[in-house]
Amino acid sequence: MPKIKKKRTGFVLDMTPLVDIAFLLLTFFMFTAKFKSDTENEQKFVIERPKSSADTSKLGEKDLAIVKIAIDTVNSDTSYYYSISNEDVRAQVYQAIPTIPADAKAMIAVDSATLDRLIIETRLASKYKVKFAIDADKRIEFKWVADLMEIMRKYKQTEFQFVTDKEGGGL
Amino acid sequence: MAGGGSLGGDRGHQKRGSLATKRKKKKRVGFVLDMTPLVDIAFLLLTFFMLSTTMNTPQIMEMSIPPQTDDVQVAASDLFTIQIDDKGRMFYNLGEETPQLLAMKDLRSLAINENMRKKNQLITSFKVSTKAPYAIVINVLDELNLAEGDITAQLTTEGLERKRKFSLMTLTPEEAEVLKTL
Repeated sequence: MPKIKKKRTGFVLDMTPLVDIAFLLLTFFMFTAKFKSDTENEQKFVIERPKSSADTSKLGEKDLAIVKIAIDTVNSDTSYYYSISNEDVRAQVYQAIPTIPADAKAMIAVDSATLDRLIIETRLASKYKVKFAIDADKRIEFKWVADLMEIMRKYKQTEFQFVTDKEGGGL
Repeated sequence: MAGGGSLGGDRGHQKRGSLATKRKKKKRVGFVLDMTPLVDIAFLLLTFFMLSTTMNTPQIMEMSIPPQTDDVQVAASDLFTIQIDDKGRMFYNLGEETPQLLAMKDLRSLAINENMRKKNQLITSFKVSTKAPYAIVINVLDELNLAEGDITAQLTTEGLERKRKFSLMTLTPEEAEVLKTL
């Protein structure tokens, strides 16, 4: 009786540890992944933020009103953009101001008169809980920020945050 | 996964009577599942999430401004003024001295020295022309914030509590005229 020929298995590599690590990383990245919000998707400009290194706290997400001051990529005009992260507050604020259309998006381009109304309405609607952040392009003139600060001062919103990028970039 | 490298187990070492001598026992493979598609998908997702994750979330710089701009009388000698003109040049002066040009890299050490000399007395007044680029404003604020850490640390060793006196305002036309001549 001839010997049964052993089936050749070629070359076997134990992939178990590899797969373990791969899944570990996969879970990590899945949980830490943060997707672009609606506001960011609608944004048609890029803000080149100034760099800073002293304060390393991150920008919050809850109850935040962001005033963006950006330069349009097409006609290089500077203008204000306003967005409120809390949807309930946003709905209330938009309703309170007649000049804002009912189908307004999460982020709207505004002039300084509307911005004035928006800031006070946001303060009222959120019962003074909303934090304000100024996200301005580093190339703009200081006038835009100074005017905005003046509006805030008028409504006693004396604390706010400047949005910056970390010096050196990266992590 | 103690010790196991091979798929399936090699249990069944005990003799099974006479049968074992007659027939070569087939090695039990247990249960084998082809994991290739699973691993493919896992790696695909892993690559996607790794590439789509942005690590540099924006950071913030806290700022607080006084509620109203009514004039408060302060001694001129306590004032440390930093001014930025239309072209983005930086000047500094103490009290009523004539403003002098100041480089960004010298700002931090200057702020620390002046603050240590005057302890908590010094009022830093930062005046910016409306035409100055915003980036410079943030740079100056950042330098001052960095200096603040050192000042607080030095004052703490002396047993003092740091009280920061700071104001940010726009440059008046008169002040801008003065800077133009320099």
